[in-house]
This record gives sequence, structure tokens and C-alpha cells, in this order.
Amino acid sequence: MMRAEDIMTKDVVAISGSATVAEAVKLMKDKGLRALIVEPRSDRDPYGMVTETDIVYKVAAYGDDPKTLRVFEIMTKPCITVTPDLGVEYVARLFANTRIRRAPVVQNGLKGVISISDIMHKSDFVEKPKSYFEIYCEENPSALEARMYD
Amino acid sequence: MLQVKDIMTQDVVTISGSATVAEAVKLMKDKGLRALIVEPRSDRDPYGMVTETDIIYKVAAYGNDPKTLRVFEIMTKPCITVTPDLGVEYVARLFANTRIRRAPVVEGKLLGIVSISDIMHKSDFVEKPMQLFLEDRIDAAREEARATCAEKGATSPECAAAWDVVEELQAIAADKRKAAKKSDSLKDYCAENPDALECRIYED
Repeated sequence: MMRAEDIMTKDVVAISGSATVAEAVKLMKDKGLRALIVEPRSDRDPYGMVTETDIVYKVAAYGDDPKTLRVFEIMTKPCITVTPDLGVEYVARLFANTRIRRAPVVQNGLKGVISISDIMHKSDFVEKPKSYFEIYCEENPSALEARMYD
Repeated sequence: MLQVKDIMTQDVVTISGSATVAEAVKLMKDKGLRALIVEPRSDRDPYGMVTETDIIYKVAAYGNDPKTLRVFEIMTKPCITVTPDLGVEYVARLFANTRIRRAPVVEGKLLGIVSISDIMHKSDFVEKPMQLFLEDRIDAAREEARATCAEKGATSPECAAAWDVVEELQAIAADKRKAAKKSDSLKDYCAENPDALECRIYED
């Protein structure tokens, strides 16, 4: 099974929570990104994220001025993070269960970002759809349940 | 205010509800799209849509085989549609209230699709946040209404319509004022004592 690190996007752009929303919009447009990461301020601080959806839902929808609003007012923090070795199918299920579309990949620092687009474009879920049972049988080929009848 | 037709994506790709999910994935990858529209089968049938999110949440997350699943099993139908003359700010608010990110633009037939990316990249919400211009627009509408009434007569339908515009803008402004009322004590303190140490603004 492919893992998060195999399909994640390694080019990540971070922004400060105190930057204005207008700065975030400009950065996202310039870099062609849908989300920016807000890095923790200390060891104990969680990761945050600000997405296109946050900006449209919370700023554009109310005609608020992006030049006076700040990123920390609209960001999601703490946000759900995944580890690089999580299987892609589990990433997809985590996303479905928590209704998110994107998460930072973290292990001793930020390694990348993984999104539903990454799963769509880089994973092999079409070519190799696998059920948990099949994965179990692959990992435990001698289990009773994994016997093959010809 | 910009309208949906000014920012929508006109290149829309449709798919049949009976196509397999694998076909939908291939079409989306080939065309670089995040959503496909499922056109109505008859006049009374609603529009449907299948998105990247549907595919990942409902197929990839469970290891189901996209080659045997069909689009109608995972699509959203009926889906919310918008008209081409809806203002961009209202589209954004509709999307926020209904928690959607994309909608077909329909008037008689399918004209395009509008998404949060379109709002982000093509609208002018950064340059012209609506509330800043509201008071100006009320002034302009009021002047226009007075002129119309002077010209067409105070009881003419044109005069009434012009004042309706003013009223509508004032209602929006009242809404904003209500929302803007929440302030905090530090802000109040700083407004009165702009030179205080706590009120310094750091420009990095």
C-alpha cells in the first residue's frame, strides 16, 4: 500500500498567524496553492492551516476587508496532521470521517502536505483497490482466512 | 458587484450517471478537473455532480473498486445550482451556509460551473470588499432615486423601484453594523489612548 510520504506535496508554504488575509490571498495566488500552513510558535504549539475555503467562507462571504483581517482570525488551529508512514487508504478514510480535504504531514517537523487531489492523482486506488481483508491476507499469507481455493 | 457569469468556468465536462467511477477518475485527470456534472435525463430531472471529494471519501477511503462502482452510486443529486446573475458575495455566502465548494451555473441550460477557486482567483473581494463601498453606493442610489422621481413623477413605478434599491442597500448596511458592534475592551482602551504601550502596532 502506498504511504502518505509517497504522494504528499513537498513544496509547502507557511505564513505567520499575524499576517493579514490579503497577504495570504496574494501568497496563495502567486504560488498557486489552496492552503498555507501556520507553523507552531513553540514546541507545544500545534500546527495550523488556512485554506481557500476559510477565506471564501469567512471573509468573501461577508464582504469583510481582507486587508484588516488577520490569518489567526480565520485559520483552523489545531489542525489534524498525519504521519508520513500512514497508508493512503487510511489517509482517505481519516479525511472522510473528519470531513477534511487536506492535512500537514508531520514527523519531527513539517514534511509536506497531503490533499484529496494528491490521493486522486498520485495514488493507485483505481488500479489497485484493496479491502482491509485483502491487505490482511497479504500481510499474513499463512492465516487460515487467507487460503486460496482454486 | 461582480456576478457569477463574470467569474465562472465555462469549460464544463459532463458524464453519465451510469459511467463507472474509474471512467470519471480518468476524465477528471485528463481534463485537470475536480468535478464533473451529471446532466438531467429529462426536463424534470435535477442536475447532479460528482467531485474529487466524493471519490476519495466514498471509494478510495474504503478500498472499493472504482471499475465496478458507478457514478450514480456516489454522486450528489440534486445539487445546489446558481443563476448567472447572482452576485459573487452572495455565492460565497451561499457556499458558506450550505458548506459546498462548487455549483453548476444554470439558466435554461448549463452555462458553467463556479467554485471557491473562481471566487478566490477572479473576484475582487480583496480590492473591493463590499462593506467599504456600501455607504457610497447608498449615496449614489439615493441621488439616482431623487433624479428618477423628479423626472418620471413621484408616484411612477420607476420612482418606487429606485427607492427600493436604496432600501435594500440600507438593509445590508444595517446588517453590517449589527455584526460590527462587537468590540473588545482593549480596542476601546486603545481608541482612547492610542499612545499607550499596549496599543503599539508592530510592522514586521
